[in-house]
Amino acid sequence: MTEDTGAGESFAAFKDSFSYGSRTDLTFKFLKRLSPEDAARFLQELLGRLGDTCDDGRAERLVDHVCEWQRRAYAETEGPGGSSWTYADGPFTPLKTPVAASRLVLLASSGHFLDGDDPRPFGVADMTQDEAVARIADFLKIEPVLSAIPLDAPRERLRVRHGGYDIRGAEADPNVVFPLERLRELHQDGVVGELAPAAYSFVGACAQTLLLRHAGPAWVARLRAQGADAAVLVPV
Amino acid sequence: MGHVARLLEEAGVATVVVAVRAFERRLGAMSLPRVVLTPHLMGRPLGAPGDSARQRSTLLAALRLFERATEPGAVVAMPGAYRPLRP
Repeated sequence: MTEDTGAGESFAAFKDSFSYGSRTDLTFKFLKRLSPEDAARFLQELLGRLGDTCDDGRAERLVDHVCEWQRRAYAETEGPGGSSWTYADGPFTPLKTPVAASRLVLLASSGHFLDGDDPRPFGVADMTQDEAVARIADFLKIEPVLSAIPLDAPRERLRVRHGGYDIRGAEADPNVVFPLERLRELHQDGVVGELAPAAYSFVGACAQTLLLRHAGPAWVARLRAQGADAAVLVPV
Repeated sequence: MGHVARLLEEAGVATVVVAVRAFERRLGAMSLPRVVLTPHLMGRPLGAPGDSARQRSTLLAALRLFERATEPGAVVAMPGAYRPLRP
């Protein structure tokens, strides 16, 4: 038996390539956040579970494994894709009326917009998801754009594009991250008093300082103008 | 999104954040008033595609937090697991 001593790809480069590299897969970009030892453990255990699934077909163990290691990879706030924003305390507004008598607004950083209202990042018309992924570094430098989506917008008119996460689930069903239909149902059932005339979405992979200092305050004014008492916020 | 939550709270709009538990530390560092953490796959914080029952129950947990939280820092972990619907 001989060992390959050539200039082959290292395991570290392999695991990192899933995060905006030659093997980009945003469900598995967390591998870059893991040490090579932990990434190897993740893959070994994944294959072990896959072997078991070949016999009994129970794929839940695979899903659980991926969810758990995503959690572990992001357990630290620092690192690639992490955040250094830390506050010792924060503001708190009690809801003054029961939810059944309040007006709610939905805001998600999911990258949804209405067909015909493409925010055209960087002036690009009809940017694809692949193009957004390729330009993630550019997105992280710009101020986010808020897209308003009318409350009664049909699912067929929703579009999603976001270079920071795997949008396959959101494409199959926007409610996985932009639960407008579920909120409409809760309103119809009387659980929610009122819904704001529009829901909102933006690409959360953006310049955080510009979001905090410029875009955010303007958005707050827009939401308050809609009479919102409370906001359901969904980050991705 | 943590920044938006803080700005809204400062402006008198109550907020609840619904996020996958992978973001627990990041959101915790931002001292947000109300957070629901779900054991779901990233990019699907409400539940799996087509699983309207799970999506609804996640939202209900968030709405309950509006009325139960009397001070900042209320964090609720959704029980269960991420389960794609079988075709």
